[in-house]
Amino acid sequence: MASYRNPELRDKLAAEYVVGTLRGRARSRFQALLHYDPDLRRIVAEWEARLTPLTAAAGEIAPPARVWQAVVRRIAGAARGAGSRTGLAFWRGLAVTSTAFVLILAAFIGVAPRPEPLMAMVAVMNDDKGQPAMVVSWPQMKAAREPYVRIKVLQEHPSMAPGTAWELWMLPPGKGAPVSMGLISTDAHQVMELKPALAHRMEGAWGVAMSVEPKGGSPTGTPTGPVIFKGQCVKIL
Amino acid sequence: MNRLPPDALPPSRAPDALAAQLAGLLAQAALKNQRAFAHLYELTAPKLYGVALRILRRQDWAEEVLQECYVNIWNHAGDYAVQKSAPLTWLTSIVRHRCLDWLRRPQQEATGEQYDIAVEAWQDDSPGPLEQLMASSEAAALARCLRQLEAKQRQSIMLAFFHGLSHSELAGHMKQPLGTVKTWVRRGLERLKGCLSMGEA
Repeated sequence: MASYRNPELRDKLAAEYVVGTLRGRARSRFQALLHYDPDLRRIVAEWEARLTPLTAAAGEIAPPARVWQAVVRRIAGAARGAGSRTGLAFWRGLAVTSTAFVLILAAFIGVAPRPEPLMAMVAVMNDDKGQPAMVVSWPQMKAAREPYVRIKVLQEHPSMAPGTAWELWMLPPGKGAPVSMGLISTDAHQVMELKPALAHRMEGAWGVAMSVEPKGGSPTGTPTGPVIFKGQCVKIL
Repeated sequence: MNRLPPDALPPSRAPDALAAQLAGLLAQAALKNQRAFAHLYELTAPKLYGVALRILRRQDWAEEVLQECYVNIWNHAGDYAVQKSAPLTWLTSIVRHRCLDWLRRPQQEATGEQYDIAVEAWQDDSPGPLEQLMASSEAAALARCLRQLEAKQRQSIMLAFFHGLSHSELAGHMKQPLGTVKTWVRRGLERLKGCLSMGEA
């Protein structure tokens, strides 16, 4: 289990993230963690405040008029097509931007749309190209009356082949067999309730994986199809 | 092809007044007031375009990133929270991080037509660019602290932050082993933080 709780390491990573030298998978992982870690967002904001004045030396250069024209075309188009702005248009907007961008925004806005316990653990699951594809997080199970995990699908166009199902697995530490958590959909935000027996094992989970199974889920109780997303658990609280 | 104009001083505006104005425009933009958003663009696009050009070093990429960022700012203006950061810091960070993500895309690695930007300016101890920072009141403390760093620490931080160089690009540019430049960046940032916090006290 990676330790993102060491204060010196957190400050160092935040500084490198802001200065721009944190790259590749380390950067993706850090951005995903930001989403769930308000204190880390605060540290990043402090570094942004320290370093951003450096851009005063960049000088100002007027962009060509076509940039603004393109912006206007895009925002006018979105306004016409929007039935419900906060719902549909937002996700349509997402389709043309990257997930990373949304995570950056989240870092600043301190996403807390609903009061709920802080997430205690998070698994950022990558696809086979090493890109974050799904995030599963959960609060301290002892504190939760009805234990659950939150699932966020980061892929822009997730697709599930007809006749198949997505099954989520908790990977216990050591050589234990994966434990089915249940079936999920391709929706961007999902909440899955857990049976108490599984809930109390979540705090020791090593990782979370998702496999493609026949409709109705794995017939054997262990993954039978390809594991397409997988990630290690990180304690954030 | 295009060279950046010699580092022109940004027009001096009282920073607090500008911040208040930008926060107001963002609030209006959140209510889908296009005129306010146009004004916000007018006030901020030249600065943000300058930032994007420095990092991406290609005009077409910088234009594309700028366009994408403003569409997103329009869609998310309501998420800006005054108490969390200054509006220009928020906007600049959105553009900088989008640029860094852009550079990460593997298909962007191919060298295209480069925007020719001088990166030598940070190499020596001569205070040229630092003088410029001093002129802007928000950056004065930062410029003073930068001056206290070793020249190599200062240079590596500026190349990374300002021009978007990765650790390995820094090592190549400065002709030093990777571990050495990593240490320069890390120690430089630590010292900068220490120096700035003494200024606050």
